[in-house]
Amino acid sequence: MQDLVKAVADMMEDEAMALTKKYVEQGVPPLQIIDAYKEALGIIGKRFEQCTYFVPELILAGEMMKTASEIIKPVMKGSQGDVEAPRIGRFLLGTVAGDIHDIGKDMVHMLMDINGFEVKDLGVDVPAQRFWDEYKDFQPDIIGMSGLLTLAFESMKEVADGLKEMGVRDKVKVIIGGGQMDEHACKYIGADAFVTDAVAGVNLCKKWVS
Amino acid sequence: MIAGWENMSSSQKQEAFLAKWASGEGIEFAGDEARASYQYRAGLIKDAVQLKKTPDRVPIAPIAVFAPIMLYGYSAKQAMYDPHILGKACLDYTRDYDVDATMIPPMVMHGPVLDALGYHLYKWPGHGIKDEQGYQFVEKEYMKAGDYDHFIADPTDYWFRVWLPRTHSALEPLAQMPPLYGTMELPMAAPWLCTLGAPPIQEAYKALLEAGRIAFEWIQALGPYMGQILSSGYPMYAGSATKAPFDVLGDSFRGTTQLMMDLYRRPQKVLDACDRLVPLMVGMGVGGAMANNNPLVFIPLHKGADGFMSNEQFEKFYWPTLKKVMIGLADNGCVPVCFVEGGYNQRLEYLTEVPEGQSVFIFDRTDMAKARKILGGKSCIGGGFPVSLIITGDAQQVEAETKKLLEVAAGDGGYILSIGCAMDEAREHTLKAFMQAGKKYGKY
Repeated sequence: MQDLVKAVADMMEDEAMALTKKYVEQGVPPLQIIDAYKEALGIIGKRFEQCTYFVPELILAGEMMKTASEIIKPVMKGSQGDVEAPRIGRFLLGTVAGDIHDIGKDMVHMLMDINGFEVKDLGVDVPAQRFWDEYKDFQPDIIGMSGLLTLAFESMKEVADGLKEMGVRDKVKVIIGGGQMDEHACKYIGADAFVTDAVAGVNLCKKWVS
Repeated sequence: MIAGWENMSSSQKQEAFLAKWASGEGIEFAGDEARASYQYRAGLIKDAVQLKKTPDRVPIAPIAVFAPIMLYGYSAKQAMYDPHILGKACLDYTRDYDVDATMIPPMVMHGPVLDALGYHLYKWPGHGIKDEQGYQFVEKEYMKAGDYDHFIADPTDYWFRVWLPRTHSALEPLAQMPPLYGTMELPMAAPWLCTLGAPPIQEAYKALLEAGRIAFEWIQALGPYMGQILSSGYPMYAGSATKAPFDVLGDSFRGTTQLMMDLYRRPQKVLDACDRLVPLMVGMGVGGAMANNNPLVFIPLHKGADGFMSNEQFEKFYWPTLKKVMIGLADNGCVPVCFVEGGYNQRLEYLTEVPEGQSVFIFDRTDMAKARKILGGKSCIGGGFPVSLIITGDAQQVEAETKKLLEVAAGDGGYILSIGCAMDEAREHTLKAFMQAGKKYGKY
């Protein structure tokens, strides 16, 4: 099924979907098709790291995965596994209070998911209390806070300070992301790291959990 | 109009328009001192832009939207609902911080106008945003994939009859209007005119007229403050604004997610739509600059930054039409001022392709040493100061960072000191330290 692997990895969407349908119709076991997608995602992941793939490929890869899942689902028996990779860590994600921007956050979500993290996405304009409550429930390895605006600095600091008060700050990594995040903001907020693009963030998170 | 304009080359037009602007012609100054201050400040910018003469010192023009309002203790909502609060805060900010070119007060907009239109392209204080915070964009797929052909064939018709109804709830009925082309002949005019009489369409036009009435009242209240800013000797850092065609599509029409997939799914449509937007964006920039007698045309750049796409994609989809818009503006005597949001470390070489000494690039997160090295002597650069330090740092840190930035970026001219983002908030002690350090260390 190298033709399918190549089509997905090279962003040939129409061909990839046609091949997926063809293999399903031919009665190829769903898990084999899923393996082809996993192999393609591995290649795509490498291309992100090598900076040959960017946002368009990230979004299109996510879209192909979604469509493929829908094509394969009807022939899946019980819980034979899915198109997802095995989980390597838990990631709690949200755009902080006061900020409604979601494009960067959604990209991180998709990319973390593809890279094997179990992601819990709290959406946008998330109050600090929800981060704290979800921390207790979900027990993430990493908390990712997103924000495009400078007002996000205060909201992020509130979340990080609260984790300290809960006595759990050293048990969880905190990463912040957004256009105006830098070393000054990171220090002020008390995060472990800052990133300004999704791929860098994911690469860092993978290192943390390995 | 400037004498001999029609027969001038683009650089002659720019020289004439910049000189006219920097002279303060048409401004009723409070006195000779104010006139001299205006000419000095605008002169610094003119020299920095043109690269012909080293200015007396680096011009300092922090880009701001809501920061001046917050600095004087007002909420964003107050500024968006009371032109006197907005005008007073802008005037006080300009004088107290003594900037070389100041903010554009109407960029804050007037809430009641948006209320009248049922505007939902943004959220603003009282409408999904806390009173204290500035407005935020709501990005969605306002233009469907199947709409490309309509958009490309007739952007204005599409804008008016499809996009406005989708983004302004009071204008929804405009979607029922026929195109206006029947007006060319008496026997064909009836459908257009009769439809205008339909009650929902009448209501939509009433809402539009009401929004216009409120906006006119607002600008009449705000205008005198802007007059005072100019008459006390402070130029404004833009005469108008326009956008890169790819960003128009990505921000307001298709949305990032859809547009990025379009690069694979329908690349030719994206290219055609961007091309179609070029003359529109040039016309918008030039028209506003002429009306406001200020050649600086502000162009915020969004979706071509490092990390958004590859250089190949930038070269194919983003840059060609931005370059055409910039050259189109310069051909009409205007100065394109690109506000390069995000990082452009992988793209700097492309920016050398515009005519020398005719454009400005204000950077956000780009390595300023690299920007100076690649663009120095070719185009005026600016910015590079992290807003994070204004908000979280102290005066000493800000002074040290400003000094460091100037050493790297100021060269022997061709640099405008600015913060790397349009500030929605700031701190008095750090912003004043920034201004003072700029004047102290920015002397040539």
